[in-house]
Parts: sequence; structure tokens; C-alpha cells
Amino acid sequence: MSAIVVNDLAKHFKPPKRAKRGKMGPNGPKGPRNAMGIIRAVDNISFEVKKGEIFGFLGPNGAGKTTTIRMMTGVLKPTNGEIKIFGLNAWKNQIAVKQVTGNVPEMANVYLDMSGLQNLMFIGEIYGVSKQERIKRAETMLKKFNLYEKGDLKAKKYSKGMKQRLLLCMALMTNPQILFLDEPTSGLDVQSANIIKQLIKEFNKEGMTIFLTTHDMEVANELCDRIAIINHGKIISLDTPENIKKLTQDYQAIDLHLVNRVKKEEIKNLRNIREVQENEEGFHIIVENIHDSICEIVDYIKARNVKIKHLSTHKPKLEEAFLKIIERGGKNE
Amino acid sequence: MNEESLEFSETKLKTFITQLKRSFVIAKKDLHIYYNKPPVLIQGILFPIILFIALTIGRDVQPIYVISGLMTMIIFLTSTSIGPIVFPWETARKTFERLITCPISVKTILLGSVWSTFIYGITFSSIPLIIGMIFLSTELSINLVIVISGMIIAGLAFACFSLILSVPSTDTPGNTMIFTVLIKFPLVFMSPLFMPIILSPIAYISPLTYFLDIVNIGLGDTSAFGTFGLLFDIGILLAFGFGFLFLAFVLHEKTLERRFQG
Repeated sequence: MSAIVVNDLAKHFKPPKRAKRGKMGPNGPKGPRNAMGIIRAVDNISFEVKKGEIFGFLGPNGAGKTTTIRMMTGVLKPTNGEIKIFGLNAWKNQIAVKQVTGNVPEMANVYLDMSGLQNLMFIGEIYGVSKQERIKRAETMLKKFNLYEKGDLKAKKYSKGMKQRLLLCMALMTNPQILFLDEPTSGLDVQSANIIKQLIKEFNKEGMTIFLTTHDMEVANELCDRIAIINHGKIISLDTPENIKKLTQDYQAIDLHLVNRVKKEEIKNLRNIREVQENEEGFHIIVENIHDSICEIVDYIKARNVKIKHLSTHKPKLEEAFLKIIERGGKNE
Repeated sequence: MNEESLEFSETKLKTFITQLKRSFVIAKKDLHIYYNKPPVLIQGILFPIILFIALTIGRDVQPIYVISGLMTMIIFLTSTSIGPIVFPWETARKTFERLITCPISVKTILLGSVWSTFIYGITFSSIPLIIGMIFLSTELSINLVIVISGMIIAGLAFACFSLILSVPSTDTPGNTMIFTVLIKFPLVFMSPLFMPIILSPIAYISPLTYFLDIVNIGLGDTSAFGTFGLLFDIGILLAFGFGFLFLAFVLHEKTLERRFQG
């Protein structure tokens, strides 16, 4: 059974007046524009999310991820198409749909003038949870997310990771059937990110459907059952993380660290080399034919009388596959 | 009425009651967070004090008009102090998107703002009334039913008015404050505060005039519309209140999306 069905969904924005004057901020709507200047932030996308799955939504900045999630959570009205959540039209039945879903928006914050516990009690009351039940659930959540000791402290004294954990507690206070997470681990310390990832898995095991957007490919790889890649408002790939990685099986990567310094351009000009990234230790090279490429690199190094400190090959990471798919503009679909 | 439509009405009634209850939860939160915020304190407490001093010093004002004028100014300025900052404040602090994804409508959030700002206004405007009752009880013949009814109706009407002031989709409370001062102060000066009501055509425009008249009547004055005009005052204030509320619902629904476009 599908938890979410998105059918031909589109969202178009009129350009804000200040954008016409060239004063639009970094958070303004992005996406391809038509002749009238209308921004097509989400451009007729369709997909389904199965009940009990963790569905990842990936894409670069301005791809349309947040706009899609905002339409799913009833913040923005779709220009076209519809979203069905457990068979109900999400826009027409907003209250009923919101009652069974939890949400952690990307740029959200908790109420800083309220304590962690007060934030949870407020959300519980808004969802109509009885006082006794609210107290019980708030206590359980605070303990689960390692916030119990700081529960009475005003949220303004929380670190970023603690605030994010509290936001997640707020979303889970009402035992939602679907949880929407917009960049849940973005900018967090390792401990907070690990706690959140662990708990996402735990809640999913208990049957919760999770829809998440993330820039972090490791998170997507680790957590998601399926991933949709969106760019310029269109879905360009939808598959399991493993299959997405297979899309770039022609490509392999070489990590090359040299004792002496050589120019990046010289390596890039060798045959079979697709891309060269320079890092602190040396080069990360994307190649098409691993055997020919290594021979080519070794010949070049011998000719230059340069010594190798480290050379290793590996399969492309999900991040590299993601970038390749974005580059190709979804021709793999 | 057939069984199906009866069931539909019951569902609608249940939804209405649930949303009404949730609006009180919003009000509790608004009062908890905003009662001590600088824009609220400036507009709700500092401005009435400054205006009171400016409008009464050096003038021979009768005690009855001091009480009614002060009550009118306080209830108007305090009842319109929280409403305009809730939306820009929540947008700036990034709590608004979280709130809007809760199972509540925009109308519920607006109603919550009305209740909180109403309670704030009623509380502060009671102070001059209590002072009047304690120190001027011999000079005034106070009819508490009239005065308190007037306070409740005017408090709600002004709270609804404050929602209109929060329509511009800014995330900077300071921008809203400039806009509110530009609208609120002319309305204060249009009403004949601290003097017997003389109905110049411009005084009819301001809703404050009708509350001032109710309080004057309640404090024993033979006022502009007189005792028999009490219903007229109440009717006009109710009309203002419902008009403002309806307009706020329509305008906020229209500007909501702009708050999420950066």
C-alpha cells in the first residue's frame, strides 16, 4: 500500500517584486523560468512512497526539494497535480492529513523562550493529546533523544544539535504515521547526527514511513530504501541507492598521492581521465577504463620521474553517482 | 434534515470546536512568549503613558475624562500590540513553518492571536478603571456592566484590527511597527480623548470614539449618543470587529505563501 502518492505535481512562483529589482535574497524561489518570468520550482513530478519505507529526496540547492516537502505538509498550495496521503488529498484535507504526519522543516526552530519540555507540551496540546499522555510521551522522547536532563532549560540555551533533536521530539510527540524530514542532519555535530540517524532507523522499524531530503549522500545511502534525485524541479532518477550507484559503473575512481608536486591540468589531459579533483593529499581521479588509466598515469609518472606515495582504486560513492546523474540531466532514467 | 447532512454538520461542528480549543493553546503560547517583548512593551505600555502625559498635562481635564481617555488609549494600544508582531516574529525566528504544519488552519492561528492580544488589552485597561473605582468612587457613578461589556467588545474588535496590521509578509518586526504606528496614532488623535465627546466628522471614522462613548456613559456622563445610543456604539464596534476579522482571514490566506518565498 502507498503511504504517499504524488501525481503530476507542480509549483510555479511569480517572481517577487524585489527580484525584478535584483534584490532577491539567497532563499528566494529558484528554478527554471518561462518567458513570463514564472519560476517552475517543481515541474510536474510523480512518484509513490510505500508504507513503511524510508524515501530519500536528493538534489542540489534550488532543485525543488523543499518546495515539494512544503506542498506535502500543507504549507504551499500546488499549482497543478495532487498529493494523496493515505488516500486523502493533502491540500483539501489538510487538518486530517497533518494530524497523522510529523514534520521537521529545514529552516525551522523551536520556541527559544520556552523550555524543551514546554515546547513538547505545546505541540502535544495542539495535536489534542491529553495532558497525562503528553507528560508521559514528553518524558519518553526527552530520554530517548538524550535531552531529559536539560528538559527544563530554556531552548535558547540549547546547542544546534540539541535544538534539532528537540524538533524531532516535537515531530514524534504525536506518534505520526509519516515523518517528513527536511535536511535532518545538516550542519550537526557527529554525536547529534548519529543519534538522529539511529532513531530514524528505530522508528522506521516500528512501521513509520519516513520521507527525507538530504544533501548528505552517506545519510541517504545508510538510511534510504529508495532515492529520487531531483534537479531543476524534475525527477531525473528514482531507484535504490545500490542501483543508482550502478548507473555509474562505467566510472571508477583512483586516489593518487605523489611525493612531488604535479599540475592538475597535466593529469587531466591524459587519456581516459574524466575528471580530476585536487585535495590536500593529492588527486581524486574519475576514470572510464581502470586498466588503461592506471597504465597511462604510471607512464606519465615515470616520464616525470615522480614518486608515488599512495595509489588506490575504488567504486564511485553515491555522491559521485549523484553528481554524474545531475550532470547528464537524467539521461540514465 | 436527512441523516447524512446531519452527520456532516456534526463533523463540521466538531472540527470548529477542536480548532477553537487549539486557538486557545496558541493564545497561551503567544502570551507566554510575547508579553515581554520590546515592541509589545513599547506599544502597549510606554506609548499610552507618553500619550497620556502629552494630552493631559497643562489642561484642566475632568476626572471622568481622564479615566475614560486613559482606558480607551490603553485598551486600543495594548490590544493591538501583540497581534502585529506574532507573524513577523515567528517568521524571523523560523517557528512559523513548524506551526503551520500542525493540524490547525491559518484562521486558528489568527484567532489565537486575537485571544492573547485581547487578554493583554483587558488586563492593562482594567488598571485605570480600578484606580477610578478606588479613588474617584464619590465623583463617578460607575455602571460596571456597561463598562466591562464595552471593554470586552472593544478589546475583541481592536484585537481583530491588530491582525490587519500583521498582513504585510515581512520577517522583520520593526517594519510592522512602523506600519502600525502610522495607522494607529491617527486613529487615537481622531477620537476626542480626555474631553467631552464632540462629534466632528472625522471622529466617526475611529472605532475608539464608540468605546470612549460607552465608557463615558458607564461612568455616568451624558455622552455624545446618550444612554439610548449605547446599542448604537456596541453595534458599530461589533461591525468593526467582524469586518476586521473577515478582512484579516482573507488577506492572511492571500499573503501566507509569500512568507515562504524568502
